[in-house]
Amino acid sequence: MAKEGLALEITELRLGLPGDNYSEISVCGSSKKKKRVLSDMMTSSALDTENENSVVSSVEDESLPVVKSQAVGWPPVCSYRRKKNNEEASKAIGYVKVSMDGVPYMRKIDLGSSNSYINLVTVLENLFGCLGIGVAKEGKKCEYIIIYEDKDRDWMLVGDVPWQMFKESCKRLRIVKRSDATGFGLQQD
Amino acid sequence: MNYFPDEVIEHVFDFVTSHKDRNAISLVCKSWYKIERYSRQKVFIGNCYAINPERLLRRFPCLKSLTLKGKPHFADFNLVPHEWGGFVLPWIEALARSRVGLEELRLKRMVVTDESLELLSRSFVNFKSLVLVSCEGFTTDGLASIAANCRHLRDLDLQENEIDDHRGQWLSCFPDTCTTLVTLNFACLEGETNLVALERLVARSPNLKSLKLNRAVPLDALARLMVCAPQIVDLGVGSYENDPDSESYLKLKAAIKKCTLLRSLSGFLEAAPHCLSAFHPICHNLTSLNLSYAAEIHGSHLIKLIQHCKKLQRLWILDSIGDKGLEVVASTCKELQELRVFPSDLLGGGNTAVTEEGLVAISAGCPKLHSILYFCQQMTNAALVTVAKNCPNFIRFRLCILEPNKPDHVTSQPLDEGFGAIVKACKSLRRLSLSGLLTDQVFLYIGMYANQLEMLSIAFAGDTDKGMLYVLNGCKKMKKLEIRDSPFGDTALLADVSKYETMRSLWMSSCEVTLSGCKRLAQKAPWLNVEIINENDNNRMEENGHEGRQKVDKLYLYRTVVGTRMDAPPFVWIL
Repeated sequence: MAKEGLALEITELRLGLPGDNYSEISVCGSSKKKKRVLSDMMTSSALDTENENSVVSSVEDESLPVVKSQAVGWPPVCSYRRKKNNEEASKAIGYVKVSMDGVPYMRKIDLGSSNSYINLVTVLENLFGCLGIGVAKEGKKCEYIIIYEDKDRDWMLVGDVPWQMFKESCKRLRIVKRSDATGFGLQQD
Repeated sequence: MNYFPDEVIEHVFDFVTSHKDRNAISLVCKSWYKIERYSRQKVFIGNCYAINPERLLRRFPCLKSLTLKGKPHFADFNLVPHEWGGFVLPWIEALARSRVGLEELRLKRMVVTDESLELLSRSFVNFKSLVLVSCEGFTTDGLASIAANCRHLRDLDLQENEIDDHRGQWLSCFPDTCTTLVTLNFACLEGETNLVALERLVARSPNLKSLKLNRAVPLDALARLMVCAPQIVDLGVGSYENDPDSESYLKLKAAIKKCTLLRSLSGFLEAAPHCLSAFHPICHNLTSLNLSYAAEIHGSHLIKLIQHCKKLQRLWILDSIGDKGLEVVASTCKELQELRVFPSDLLGGGNTAVTEEGLVAISAGCPKLHSILYFCQQMTNAALVTVAKNCPNFIRFRLCILEPNKPDHVTSQPLDEGFGAIVKACKSLRRLSLSGLLTDQVFLYIGMYANQLEMLSIAFAGDTDKGMLYVLNGCKKMKKLEIRDSPFGDTALLADVSKYETMRSLWMSSCEVTLSGCKRLAQKAPWLNVEIINENDNNRMEENGHEGRQKVDKLYLYRTVVGTRMDAPPFVWIL
């Protein structure tokens, strides 16, 4: 059996009994799964508060091994260690909590997968199903602005520092109405 | 030896402690068998279903220390359903009934209940040592019974267990008169810890050598504990989030300096890495460092710490250390014997992972290396050949390339030659785990060269039954063979049935073995338990005829002297 490319090989693996397509997650489906995470959040942003736990937990669940090869029990890391790893992973520079004024539940986004402020705004607008979120300089035109809590526990206006620097110091996000912003002691230019 | 009275022979036997050696002694002659069995105090049972407690006690009535293993190894990776078996209660009940003077119990991958722990704590007056590894089924209430009732408790060592934490007061159940503790490891507990009770316990335990805390123990408590226990040899730090200006931190720094006997460090379950320098003064004494649960420790802080650890023999680390970090290890830790590099990112990011370069660097820099577990992104045959040349002394070689079936990333060839070089060079190799793209060829090499191999783990490898046959025919010392997602079928399974009598167990999942093949095997070998684990459909296999050509999802077979076990759940079918 000649083994040529990789990707096709992987889709040929049998992970269960023949004909048993549903019992285990198919390997090639995993990359689709990762993309589904964001689109899921976009469409479900209009959900009511009863679903808050399931929304947040569906994000956590999607974060369970979304490796290219998603066979059960692979990679061979013992379940105790795997659990600890998952807990750490969702705490790592990736997922931050996002709250929005007027919305009774919080969301979590993977900051690690955003690459710019513009991208972040788009993600957040899709997440909460609204427009009119702005950062720093543009904030003057928009109804909402974004603030974040940094490592020193200060609330800062998003957009002042370089993107990478912001990513590393951001612990959580909050979307507030521009009109309410002046009362927060933000560091503005 | 026939001229010596039994007492003298027995005295000589006292110096023979390894299980293998004692088993060998008992086979020499009837007289030695008898002397050996009455003097044997420690027994190791690798598969709890291979024997039963009654027979064990009949042979070894003076038993003091028992080690039992339950579920097969692949249970660690969720391949074995929870209710499969491995219950310790019947063992404890039988031991209690027999009034044997049990002092030590070590369990791995077994189901332990609060009831069993309570019974254990009440039945053996001299019980001293409880070690539970990867077990499940109990809560902190069970721990409370042990604490309360075992008057001479020396070791309570809980490693990577799933324990339901009732946030009770189990630590305060140790009576004030309990001053004998040597080992206390509760790092795997998730709930809050009664810090006052813990501090008082540590303060009244002058023999405490090993203390491993859970993440609920904050820095200031750690500082106080270390002041009470400067004699500590093995420390598992719980939470390490600190403020370098705080009084607690200064106190901790001072306390650590006094722990001149500290040799082993682990934990840092919640860590702020910039204060690791507090540990630098004792690093030069460390022989063992386990930072595999310390996800927040990486980069320069980690490197600085390692650069102080020149005497390290054992290092468990996350792959966030990177190849560069491993190069630092290679140039610093010349005494290194065991290395484990675990994946930090199971989410498929593949950021700062390690590659073949890190492995080569380690092999070049650490001549005493004999055990390795290495999770990595990629590998090459050339690297493995170099590693084999640098380190011909491997006893355990476990390589896990994260992506199944990945070939040599430079040549796109299978990794047969690389692993072949390892088994050819490492004549003492006892344990091997394979990964990456592999054909039948690698198994030909293994069968030919791996003469001492006792445990082999195979996943997504091989082309035909020949692969498995090479191994079964060639590896005379094989004890545990575990295979998943590989195209081995009935021909290989049935080729030499008597082979399984020399092995502890065989696991095959998602392979090509069929029901009729398994049935034939069970018929030919009544001294084997042939278990079919079929979670999805309990009795479908039996009802549907199909001449048994249906493929078996999970097969687990093992030799036993006590026949079919009675405690199997409905989805386990013992042929």
